[in-house]
Amino acid sequence: MSKSSFARYGGWLMVLILLVLLQPLSDSVNYERLIYGLVRPMPATRLVEKDFTVVPGVIAGAILGGFREIAAAMIWMKSTELWNKGHGTELKYLSMVRTTTLLDPHWLEPWRIAGWHLAYNMYVEADKIPDPELRAKRKAQYMQMGVDCLKEGISWNPDHYDLYFELGWTYFDKVRNYDEASKWLSHTLQFEHPEYIERIIAHAYERKPEMQKALDWYDYCIKRNPADGTAYGATLTIHERYLTAWRLMEEGKYDEAIEEANCYLAVAPNNILPLHLKAHIYEQAGELEKAYKWWSVAGKTALNAHARERAARLARQLGKEVPPEPADIMRQEQMAVPERKF
Amino acid sequence: MLRPIYYVAKATFHEAWRRRFLNGILVFAILMIGSSRVLMYMQPGAELRMLVDIGLGSIRFFGLLIAVFMGARLISDEIEKRTIHTILAKPVSRGQFLIGKFIGGVTTVWSNIAIMGVAFYGLVRLTAPRVAAAAEGESWVYSLDLMYGRVLGSIGLIFLELFVVTALAVTFSTIFSWILATISTFFIYFVGQMSEFIHQLADPERGATPVAAIVLGTIYRILPHFEIFDMREAILDPARPLPWEHPAKVVIQTCTYVVVVILIGYLFFNEREV
Amino acid sequence: MCFRIRRCCAIATAIRTENLAKLYGTDSEGRPVGLVGLTLEVAEGQIFGLLGPNGSGKTTTLKLLLGLIFPTSGSGEIFDLKLGSPEYKRRVGFLPEGPYFYDHLNAVELLRFYATLFGMSGPDLEKHIQELLELVGMWDRRAIRVRDYSRGMLQRVGVAQALLNDPDLVFMDEPTAGLDPSAQIEMRNVILRLRDEGKTVFLCSHLLKDMEPICDTVAILSRGTVRRLAPMSELLSGDSPRYVLTVAGQSEQVQSRLASLATEVRPREGNLEAVYEDQGAALNAANQIGAAGAKILHVGPERRTLEEVFVEVVGGE
Ligand SMILES: Nc1ncnc2c1ncn2[C@@H]1O[C@H](COP(=O)(O)OP(=O)(O)OP(=O)(O)O)[C@@H](O)[C@H]1O
Ligand SMILES: [Mg+2]
Repeated sequence: MSKSSFARYGGWLMVLILLVLLQPLSDSVNYERLIYGLVRPMPATRLVEKDFTVVPGVIAGAILGGFREIAAAMIWMKSTELWNKGHGTELKYLSMVRTTTLLDPHWLEPWRIAGWHLAYNMYVEADKIPDPELRAKRKAQYMQMGVDCLKEGISWNPDHYDLYFELGWTYFDKVRNYDEASKWLSHTLQFEHPEYIERIIAHAYERKPEMQKALDWYDYCIKRNPADGTAYGATLTIHERYLTAWRLMEEGKYDEAIEEANCYLAVAPNNILPLHLKAHIYEQAGELEKAYKWWSVAGKTALNAHARERAARLARQLGKEVPPEPADIMRQEQMAVPERKF
Repeated sequence: MLRPIYYVAKATFHEAWRRRFLNGILVFAILMIGSSRVLMYMQPGAELRMLVDIGLGSIRFFGLLIAVFMGARLISDEIEKRTIHTILAKPVSRGQFLIGKFIGGVTTVWSNIAIMGVAFYGLVRLTAPRVAAAAEGESWVYSLDLMYGRVLGSIGLIFLELFVVTALAVTFSTIFSWILATISTFFIYFVGQMSEFIHQLADPERGATPVAAIVLGTIYRILPHFEIFDMREAILDPARPLPWEHPAKVVIQTCTYVVVVILIGYLFFNEREV
Repeated sequence: MCFRIRRCCAIATAIRTENLAKLYGTDSEGRPVGLVGLTLEVAEGQIFGLLGPNGSGKTTTLKLLLGLIFPTSGSGEIFDLKLGSPEYKRRVGFLPEGPYFYDHLNAVELLRFYATLFGMSGPDLEKHIQELLELVGMWDRRAIRVRDYSRGMLQRVGVAQALLNDPDLVFMDEPTAGLDPSAQIEMRNVILRLRDEGKTVFLCSHLLKDMEPICDTVAILSRGTVRRLAPMSELLSGDSPRYVLTVAGQSEQVQSRLASLATEVRPREGNLEAVYEDQGAALNAANQIGAAGAKILHVGPERRTLEEVFVEVVGGE
């Protein structure tokens, strides 16, 4: 060979040396990416952790490489088009939205829409199912899927308030599980967030009912913004209608408290607040049978997971048969055959 | 010493700009960037996101096409068309020829990105204030100035990314025919997008066997890491600190890697019979 | 070899190779393909012709000499510099076989580009380019893009680019291929002029008729091996100089009279040629036949054509 072997091997040695020298720099850049929060966990990351639901996302990511965002934007546009044409309740629409979340998991809007779509639209859509048992089951399923979807979104985006709020709101408004609602809504407070969230937290406490905490939050709202009419009105209402009963209950004067609560129940027999308040007072008084009865009544007035859960808890305490609730039916089935989400 | 490099680069640059195929890509890219403005109006509430994502995505995508399809032909075409014979018979060393070709290719790619970037930046400056005024604060756009900065920063990262891609394409074109060089470059590009994934697969703490740890670890060390050009999270979020040292390190890392890649190309080209 | 002994001390050497070989494996009969082992030395100031049938290794030799490919074994030097080093290329011009150029350029742009590789520029260069294009007859067609060139135009521009740096040594692969007759003559004149200017020209060709009048020294290559290497005059006059008498016409009568005196009689181009062992016999025969009224065209030492020598050397291969 005419080329001297020194030039050749010297060259490769140089390549090796440069590559070795590059590694500390590369590692430091990687480390900085981690601390500056630049790492976007690709779906692939979860594959390593043996979460195989992300397989389609990994494949799409591999094929699209750095063009995931543009693909996500395109699919998102397509899904909006479907929605506008009135195909929003088809599974196709949902899978498009979910694909968008897989391709660009840090885009909050698709997560929000997917969760809302499941817990609200698909939930209503299930009304068309004729078989009541199946209908109830499906409705509970969709609701649960909406909640799970939002939780997954939070796992990708734990430092933005948006999805915590979305989840808290779904618990508050749709599931009506006020413990969970107040918990998730409180998470938003660590980030920049809109003013109305504190009010919703207060609403949730009101419904638990935990009147003192509700008043504290309303108070906070009013102090922050004296022109906050809603908080002001809510405070007035509590003072006017429920605070007397609440204080009597706290003092242990349960009979008087019940009488107080009955006054307003007579005015608004279906209102969730006096119903919960009455059931809660019975429970505090230790009259578990009556508490059970009133929590059950409250549970039936609307899909009220909070009241039903408390009724179920009492039923278990009293040794009664726990009435199956839709969410329970689903949970039992899930245990039998783990159902795959798309 | 440098003169032949300069003139080879210049000739390469001029030739590339006369290629109808590449001009076509550029025209198409500009049309696509322009259309991101139309598309964004289909997305109430996400206009700016659409504008920026589609626009920047188009620049990257078409820049990549130009870098790969042009870069992969730079050397292999000269050999296949035998134009290299008269050039290497002149006082031009193979190293000078390769570097000249590479520089010509990179300047072509960069000038294409610059044209697309200027077009897109102009579009953003024109459109964004109106959209921002109409839509009340989408959560990710905190301020328009931030977004302008983001657009410029992202274009800068595209420059860096395609620097590496062009180097890879040129190096492959010293070894393979242009078809194979094109395929190899795309392949490495997409694998390089997932280098972090390979890194995790090679992690014994995540259950990699010792053999897998060594093999995958080595592959990871050699592969280009295209993830480092993704600073979208920081550019999006004003709350995240990003001292200038980080992009500076990325620039140094990129340049060193390009030197390695071109050196490998030179070692192959030096042995290549033309 | 004899050639080297005669000249090396007097004149500097332009090209020297020592067992230069480039093997591309073997053919179906097990014979090596490529260049098997070339040892030559080309002195400065002459026209050297490397002749051989298709696939004999001429282009391979040129590529080796220019460092485009690398030898399997052996070595070589040009102007005492190792093969492939860019330094000697300053003094070298190269016309490849069926040349290829950047086809988006026109003749002037192309030459300007090549000139920059030599570091040439400025107004002198423009004049130089014009001279070269006029020399190869391309000046009035200078605006046409290379992509639209004919084969002959490519060849002409190829010559212009090979002469751009006023080289001391010019390599030309099949210089006359694809040229029309008058262009072939022009090409021949260009090559001869280069020699007159004291340059060395290294030609590769299988077009023997074009090579015969211009080469000073010839190497005949066959299947990668040099079969003959000698000055052209030596090659054509042969070892034992015989004499030839050429008579006009091919009449039976003249033929029989010639045959009685000559070693051999053969028809040639409408005439008759008789071969004699020495000068005296030839003159004698000429006198007799001339007296008999036949028209004598030529008497002289026997000169074989290059073609004949070539066929003899390469044989039935
Ligand atoms: N890259 C290659 N790989 C394999 N074989 C080759 C290669 N290049 C040349 N050869 C072989 O080497 C031999 C010599 O080829 P070369 O081109 O030198 O011939 P040539 O004398 O120039 O012929 P021509 O008169 O047709 O131009 C041929 O048999 C050819 O097939
Ligand atoms: Mg040849």
